[in-house]
Amino acid sequence: MRNLAAILFTGGLGFLLLVIASQLDFGQPPMRVGQEILNVAAGEVGAANIVTSVLLAYRGIDTLGELSILFAAAIAAGLVLGHRRADVPADPDGGFILRAGADLLFPLLLVVGFYIILHGHLTPGGGFQGGVILAAAFFIGVLARPREGLNHAVISVIEGLAGAGFIGVGLWALFADGAFLKPMLDQGTLGDLVSAGTLPLLSLALGIKVGAELAGLMTSLSDTEAPEQ
Amino acid sequence: MELNFVTILYVGAIGLLLIGAMGLVMGNNLFRMVLALVLAEAGVNLLLILAGYRGDATAPILGIAPAGVQMVDPVPQVLVLTAIVIGVGVQALAVAVLIRVFRAYGTLDARELKTLFEFDVAAEKGTEPPGSTQAPAGGRPLSPVPPRPQADEASS
Amino acid sequence: MNNVILPVILPLLAAFLMLPVARLSAVVARLLGPLVLLIGLVLLLQLWFAPEAEPFMVALGGFAPPLGIVFYVDQLALIFAMAVPLFTLVFWNWSPGSDQDAQGMARQDALMLLLAASATGLALSGDLFNIYVFYELMSVASFGLVALTGTGPAQVATVRYLLLSAFGSVLALVGIAILYTQTGTLNLAQLGQLAPTALQGPAGLAAFAFMLIGFGVKAELFPVNTWVPEVYATAPARIAGLLAGLISKLAVLVVVRLLVVVYQDTGAAQLMLVLGTLTVLFGEFAAWRARDFPRMIGFSSIGQLGIVFIAFSIPGPWGVLAGLAVALHHLLIKSALFSLANRWSGSLEGLAGGAKSAPIAAGLFVLLALSLIGVPPLPGFWTKILVLVGLAQEGAALHISALAAILLVTAIEANYLFRFAIKLYRKSDQPPAPHRTLDIGAAALIGIAVVVVTVQIDPVGDKLRAVARQAADRTTYITTVFPSEPGIAAREDSR
Repeated sequence: MRNLAAILFTGGLGFLLLVIASQLDFGQPPMRVGQEILNVAAGEVGAANIVTSVLLAYRGIDTLGELSILFAAAIAAGLVLGHRRADVPADPDGGFILRAGADLLFPLLLVVGFYIILHGHLTPGGGFQGGVILAAAFFIGVLARPREGLNHAVISVIEGLAGAGFIGVGLWALFADGAFLKPMLDQGTLGDLVSAGTLPLLSLALGIKVGAELAGLMTSLSDTEAPEQ
Repeated sequence: MELNFVTILYVGAIGLLLIGAMGLVMGNNLFRMVLALVLAEAGVNLLLILAGYRGDATAPILGIAPAGVQMVDPVPQVLVLTAIVIGVGVQALAVAVLIRVFRAYGTLDARELKTLFEFDVAAEKGTEPPGSTQAPAGGRPLSPVPPRPQADEASS
Repeated sequence: MNNVILPVILPLLAAFLMLPVARLSAVVARLLGPLVLLIGLVLLLQLWFAPEAEPFMVALGGFAPPLGIVFYVDQLALIFAMAVPLFTLVFWNWSPGSDQDAQGMARQDALMLLLAASATGLALSGDLFNIYVFYELMSVASFGLVALTGTGPAQVATVRYLLLSAFGSVLALVGIAILYTQTGTLNLAQLGQLAPTALQGPAGLAAFAFMLIGFGVKAELFPVNTWVPEVYATAPARIAGLLAGLISKLAVLVVVRLLVVVYQDTGAAQLMLVLGTLTVLFGEFAAWRARDFPRMIGFSSIGQLGIVFIAFSIPGPWGVLAGLAVALHHLLIKSALFSLANRWSGSLEGLAGGAKSAPIAAGLFVLLALSLIGVPPLPGFWTKILVLVGLAQEGAALHISALAAILLVTAIEANYLFRFAIKLYRKSDQPPAPHRTLDIGAAALIGIAVVVVTVQIDPVGDKLRAVARQAADRTTYITTVFPSEPGIAAREDSR
């Protein structure tokens, strides 16, 4: 009975969606805002990667909101999971290959992560993508040696300061130039590493915050005790 | 609709969305519902990206795109970036809460959990739990009610 | 004027810094939240009492619309933006908490600040995807707050609420995708400009339906409000009060902006009317059968939100006025009732004789119940009359059946609310525990506000009428956001 209702609901939804999809023009989007941004982004923002210029300049407040969502999820997960009791034994360390591999990968992942973060305005990438790689770098160490978890205090301080840094750059623009998150600083030449004003700073703050957040989230999850059998 | 590349992508995106919707509505096991949610979100993200797709256009990165070639719409790409991150946050939180639910009740089956939930809330409030829909009518003698299943109630 | 962004940004900043600050000094961390909320409230009050009452827009980042994101600030937005820090402070966790748990308290406070920041942003925003992002932030913060008690049932309720809300967000995103495919823009004012040409077909209406269901999860709309009884039974009463009172109104505000600016001449209003009627019937019948106090008032809030949807679906400024009046009235009454529910969280039978141990609370309950039912001269009467007259003026079959539903539901409301009031004043051996001064204080303040509004109903009504007329005016919205567009004034709009 319940499965029948589910199938009917999904069938109806599917029919509706296919009817709507048949009415849309494929491959010919209206490009109202999109074309305008493609035309002016290089001049107004100065970043070679137009997607990053939309992400951090034109729609900067959406990125701030998204950052806060990840922050809220990490905090809520921390609140829900609680702390590990001190007397519960931790998982055993990984084997030799895992430990050696983790030690080897850690600096490489850090370099790749920071590279992607800092070049976010030139090539595909940016704060979120690089931040996830940074989190992975730290988390592989936790997987290999579960006893040495990450320090929650340090993570929360890094998170907090990076987030405050992002908002701080925005507030500086508000008080100096009259608009929150307006790109400041010199635009430089298109295609250089130091270009596009405050965009690399925002990317950096974004990347560090996301990295710390995800590392903390995964550590909270790994810290939870196994249910008593 | 002619059968070309974009049509196939659209059908695929809608299909993912429908599979996810069906999984969520069927609701057998909470973890399966979370996985269905992941699929549905993937479908919607694909649908959003397709909203900016232009045939034969290239990535909107100056310096990499050859001159004179059109670029795809950058805005849906930003929207999807945001939506993916939001989805990851929600899924991680869902898994964290599922861990606590499993620790408290020992099961992730949606129907069992509903019954246990009603029992617990009724006990807490001091009301009687809602009657079973399988109860026989007409005053037939009822078989003795089995004791409430022993669930793992450890909560921190 | 550009400082209108600060009530959104400062709580975010405080939330980010809350955990590091809590490690340094727990006292500062506890005070940081209320301080930031007060600053936001003061900034918004300055805007409210500014001499010129014209709506204005702020282009964020200095990028003119439609490329950038705008905040559109009119009186309607200001009312709800001011309600956010006010009611967040009312429902704040003022208990000092233990010293060991400074981190836990800091986390709770951070989540409340994120909720407040996103709610304020939702009231002010003028860009569709920005609204979606703030809505998601509101949802995630509420997931964390709902699971606060940590009991097993609370976690089950949280996970079911989370799954339903996430599914709703997926549907809302489908709606946004369809809109973008049709029009190529996300700015509400530009969508309003393009609506007569691009959004008339089934695709436009389907997009609205998806967004209505998606944003309707928080607004407790009919098919997607199954989370309400479970969450209100297990969450702490102040969180339930915040969700039922404040957050649901902001979700309704989003739908109203869509309806007024973008979907003015289509069947979207009829869809809202039908779903609103179903919501009213579902909510009030369930409230009649409820057996514990938090769920009773939770179901009743579903019913009232259905009336809000019905009211907003009436076209023109009358609809906006009626909806605004019902929404604000419900915001006040439900917040007070949930304050009382903090101690009265058990079954209705167990609360018999409550008037003995908590006379003020019982008296307040009777006053609030009378206003909820709509007994003259209390404000509830005027709000219901506005809705009923508006429906009668429309005269179509759908509207008349909605009118009949509201009348039926008023009778049911009277029944179960008076049933409980009589139970309170009965004699009993085991009266329930008395309330904390904080809860009584909050409820009493709201009770006094209700009495003041009753006495001053004329000026309040006039002010609301002006706000509604400004909010229902689509042309003003579009010309404020795009001041130099010719040919907009020639476009005909609402009656």
